[in-house]
Amino acid sequence: MIPQEFEYSAPTSLEEALHLISDGSAKVLAGGLSLIPLMKLRLAAPGHVVDLGRVPGLSYIREEGGKLHIGAMTTHYQIESSALVHSRCPLLAETAAHIGDVQVRNAGTIGGSVAHADPAADYPAALLALDAQVRLVTASGERTLPIQDFLVDTLTTALEPGELVAEVIVDVDVDGATGFCYQKMAHAASGFAIVGAAVRVRRSNGRVSFSRVGITGLAPKAFRATGVESLLQTPDDVASAAGAVADGIEANSDLAASAEYRCQMARVYTARALRQALARIA
Amino acid sequence: MSMATTVTKAETLVGRRLRRKEDPRLITGTATYVDDIQMPGMHYAAILRSPHAAARIRSLNVQPALDHPGVAAVFTGADVAGVGPVPCGASLPGLRVPAHSVLARDRVYFVGHPVAVVVATDRYVAADALDLIEVEYQPLPAVANPEKALEPGAPAVHPEWPDNLAFTYHQEGGEPDRAFAEADVVVRQRIISQRLIPTAMETRGVVADYRGAEKSLTIYSSTQIPHLMRSLVAQMLGLAENRLRVITPEVGGGFGSKLNVYAEEALMGFVAMKIGKPVKWIESRRENFQCTIHGRGHVDYYEIAARKDGAVLGLRLKLIQDLGAYHQLLTPAIPTLSVLMMPGLYKFRNVSADILGVFTNCVPTDAYRGAGRPEATHGVERMMDLLAAELRMDPAELRLLNFIGADEFPYATATGLSYDSGNYAEPLKKALDLVDYHRLREQQQQAKASGRLVGIGISTYGEICAFGPSPATPAGGWESATVKIEPSGAVTVMTGASPHGQGEETTFAQIAADELGVPIEDVIVVHGDTAIVQYGIGTFGSRGTAVGGPAVYYALQDLKAKILKFGELLLESSDVTFSGGVCTCNRTGKTVTLAQIAAASYRAMKLPPNTEPGLVATHFWEPPNFAFPFGAHIVVSEVDPETGQVEIKRYVAVDDCGKIINPLLVDGQVHGGVVQGLGQALFEQAVYDQDGQLVTGELMDYAVPKATMVPWIESDHTTTPSPVNPLGVKGVGEAGTIGCSPAVVNSVVDALGHLGVRHLDMPLTPEKLWKLIQAGGQA
Amino acid sequence: MKVAGEYLLAAAPDRAYDLLQDPEVLARCMPGCDHLARTGPDEYEMRMKMVISSIQGLFAGKVSIADQDRPAGFRLVVEGNGKVGFMRGDGLLTLVPQPGGTEVRYEGEVRVGGMIAGVGQRLLDTTAKMIIKRFFSKLAAQVDGASSSGAGA
Ligand SMILES: Cc1cc2nc3c(=O)[nH]c(=O)nc-3n(C[C@H](O)[C@H](O)[C@H](O)COP(=O)(O)OP(=O)(O)OC[C@H]3O[C@@H](n4cnc5c(N)ncnc54)[C@H](O)[C@@H]3O)c2cc1C
Repeated sequence: MIPQEFEYSAPTSLEEALHLISDGSAKVLAGGLSLIPLMKLRLAAPGHVVDLGRVPGLSYIREEGGKLHIGAMTTHYQIESSALVHSRCPLLAETAAHIGDVQVRNAGTIGGSVAHADPAADYPAALLALDAQVRLVTASGERTLPIQDFLVDTLTTALEPGELVAEVIVDVDVDGATGFCYQKMAHAASGFAIVGAAVRVRRSNGRVSFSRVGITGLAPKAFRATGVESLLQTPDDVASAAGAVADGIEANSDLAASAEYRCQMARVYTARALRQALARIA
Repeated sequence: MSMATTVTKAETLVGRRLRRKEDPRLITGTATYVDDIQMPGMHYAAILRSPHAAARIRSLNVQPALDHPGVAAVFTGADVAGVGPVPCGASLPGLRVPAHSVLARDRVYFVGHPVAVVVATDRYVAADALDLIEVEYQPLPAVANPEKALEPGAPAVHPEWPDNLAFTYHQEGGEPDRAFAEADVVVRQRIISQRLIPTAMETRGVVADYRGAEKSLTIYSSTQIPHLMRSLVAQMLGLAENRLRVITPEVGGGFGSKLNVYAEEALMGFVAMKIGKPVKWIESRRENFQCTIHGRGHVDYYEIAARKDGAVLGLRLKLIQDLGAYHQLLTPAIPTLSVLMMPGLYKFRNVSADILGVFTNCVPTDAYRGAGRPEATHGVERMMDLLAAELRMDPAELRLLNFIGADEFPYATATGLSYDSGNYAEPLKKALDLVDYHRLREQQQQAKASGRLVGIGISTYGEICAFGPSPATPAGGWESATVKIEPSGAVTVMTGASPHGQGEETTFAQIAADELGVPIEDVIVVHGDTAIVQYGIGTFGSRGTAVGGPAVYYALQDLKAKILKFGELLLESSDVTFSGGVCTCNRTGKTVTLAQIAAASYRAMKLPPNTEPGLVATHFWEPPNFAFPFGAHIVVSEVDPETGQVEIKRYVAVDDCGKIINPLLVDGQVHGGVVQGLGQALFEQAVYDQDGQLVTGELMDYAVPKATMVPWIESDHTTTPSPVNPLGVKGVGEAGTIGCSPAVVNSVVDALGHLGVRHLDMPLTPEKLWKLIQAGGQA
Repeated sequence: MKVAGEYLLAAAPDRAYDLLQDPEVLARCMPGCDHLARTGPDEYEMRMKMVISSIQGLFAGKVSIADQDRPAGFRLVVEGNGKVGFMRGDGLLTLVPQPGGTEVRYEGEVRVGGMIAGVGQRLLDTTAKMIIKRFFSKLAAQVDGASSSGAGA
């Protein structure tokens, strides 16, 4: 329960932080909720840890050009409780509220969560449903990736050595015309998602005119269930559309839930999320 | 036994909902736990543990660790050959006791088995050095399941006993064979009480400090039994008992897991004596899961015989106990408690039980909240529901029909116990009223008709508490108390029980304040230091108040006699009464306060011959019998047919723990107990895979209930005083846990009964229930 | 933990069979393998540095091949030992000719012990699958690389 020896830096500017990690050998520390336990178990043993905690300008939520920009160091609690997120992107606020417990939400960050890419983390489901983008920066430049390209596999992202997640950019839902919902079956011990379904829907003329379904927990990485989206033509299609959520998926399995059970729970929770989202359309 | 109290105050403290005296330090973070202890020159120990469930140690090279800067010493099994074995306090005829060295010799027997200890100047260095030790293991076949261990050809946990049997035990009462032959119905069921991890919030920890010049060793340990630990560790280390002092600082939860003497206590004592420096070892959560005892671990085969009208005739039990690889302090004794309590509250005149105590390549099982009684209650209460289903009777009616009558006490059971007092129908009727049972059943029918899976579960439990008469316990069964009135009149109570969260610093102060007529603020309760407190037994088996309380009470009576004597002296009268904190001369009306009496008793002027100065009294109280609390829990649950998740809609607990000293604390015990029972019923299970790897090795995978997973608990009481002690108390520390699991499981079986479900084994995980619902109830 | 799956390699069964037993190829395809040496007939010793995000473990172990039935299939046993735990994978590989190549079917059991068994339950299955997937995709790349260079020769 004691990590191996490591060097610790607490840079006070983004430039300094990017410089410190530029050779790719250092590990970035955000909320520490995923990294520190791994280090204490000695499953991770970085020689150098660069703490982003004192870097200014990484924690913010602002609306710009019709999108919501959320700084990497913004905590789950800040997102859960932000009036701006509630009014512009309520799905993200609802998802944040499902993460762990109060202490976890006060320390954990959105940048840390997406960078860690836990296959059962909550945000990725919502971010897929929000057509999110992840902006990455290095000492020499930056690039922006759609979330589905950023998430590569279990605990694996497109982050290159020396690269930082700077912010997450999500679509804004104005006027309440978009129904949303995040539904999660939590693992009794860890609180992580056995499955989680994040959805957004719009209707027009009795038909479903737009839908996004992001699923976490079911597969090695969170994914957008495009099959469900295309089957969901009208509100009456919820059951049959949700029934397709696990099609072609090689589902995860562990002590808490077999692959078969997970698939079925994905169907149930997707249907529940879709129903509630449809009911929420103003 | 008569109540000899002379309290005349209008209002007593006993019986009142007082807040705990111990809480301010606990909630302000100023309490001292083992890990808070710092000493100059302190060294830190880390323990290398086996990753294999069974392996031969081919080679062990500690040199790289020794070469690491900051490492003071490394010890292995060969170095500790002089340390005595980890003690087993239980004795059963023919019990096989494996040699249990504090560090492994040439073989390891479970994942987590200690192999070497590194001692360094700080805990970081110790942890780094641990990684440098080179061990070559030759893995051996392991067996982690007790029924598999009994199969012919199973790997032998201990090569000298290829059948893996540590003991067999048979107990019989009445004529079970005849009862079964004459029965109209016989119901059989295999019932599992799974392995559980006690998960005290504070893991174990030991600090050992040896003063060579004084040849004296002090051990700080997070334990429930400081004095027993002193006796046993002194033996292991070959120390005179008066050269070892055991101090128990704050204990952050025990639940039985600290009712033990572990390898680490003697090991740290050994290390401190070797290096001549204080040493600290704090268990990690991972070690806590792997190396501190587990609870339960039963596979039970029950048979119940009854008449058509529901009258029970006989009960048979084959109990397979997963012991783990070794015996810890009470390991083999725990299942015998299940046998003692197997008849529950019912008139089973004919019983027979066989225990098979089985070695497995797992950490030992031992006492965990309830220790043997939850298993027994779970068994008999499941069987009563199975019988009710078989006879199409209402489960409440079946229970009422078979209860031992209120007029039959003391009641001699078929397992040889004498139940002290009881009125078993009363709490059940009260609980049925609280839930409005008949209306509830109607509502359930309506809910079921609309496709909802709603169930009602009843459990009525009895438990054996207040351990106990000395002849029936492995160590003494008494408890001790010393009450001192200091020269200023302040009152100090020293209890041999070692409370660790139960709140006896408050309840014992209530008793003393009432008896002496002083404000409760004037009383402090001291415990947990063998150099200060007279020899005592400890806190476990719901005995703290039920055995420790009467000891305090009797010490107070002895003290009051002394007070009266000094009062007579000071008032120069032989007609004096002591009441409300003052002695009053009944003729003149003159008074003298307790503080004046105390001062005079220590000043000792003009004492008549043969008058002992001072106001101190010590009493060792031996209980004449156990006490037997009882109660009824009713659970309303609903299963989500789509997911298999269980929601507890209602939880009603009516407990009878005899007289209640502090209702707030009793409710706290019931709530905490129920939560641990819910943990077993719904969430928790220590899982070893087929190779003996503990795969629920962290709180990430082992699901203890969290606050958000716990329903509202409605707690009520009936009061049937125990005649075995002057306080009329029975014990309530384990009641909640014992009553809970069968009520929950009975409710869920009831919810799924129409699908043909008869029985479910714990924990009732969503996937298990979902699969059953999918299969239309066919497992 | 049971693992099973199949992978399509763009090589005829005979070649796929040889590739799957070529120590050089195996060394390149086993994730994190930095050393693989033959120690006997069908037996190799191996060193691996497994890196998954921040998690890393050094394993020393051996690979052995049994029940050779060229080109239909064989048994592969991989054992590894490290500070964070140990593992043993034991699987049957079946090679089925397909139009355009060979389908390699694998079916076996992975057993893990030590730390990774006790703390990683939730992620064990996905991680094992990911490692197998990485192995086969590297192998597929080898096949492609080999066949293109073969075509040039
Ligand atoms: C008890 C508990 C319960 C939890 N329950 C849940 C839950 O229910 N749902 C859920 O989704 N999560 C849960 N989590 C995880 C939690 O949300 C973490 O906060 C999150 O996964 C990681 O965020 P962090 O800020 O703590 O990152 P850290 O632990 O500091 O970092 C995680 C990883 O990301 C890297 N990293 C961090 N920030 C950046 C960055 N800006 N750029 C590049 N790399 C970066 C680090 O180097 C590290 O590899 C739980 C955690 C705990 C301890």
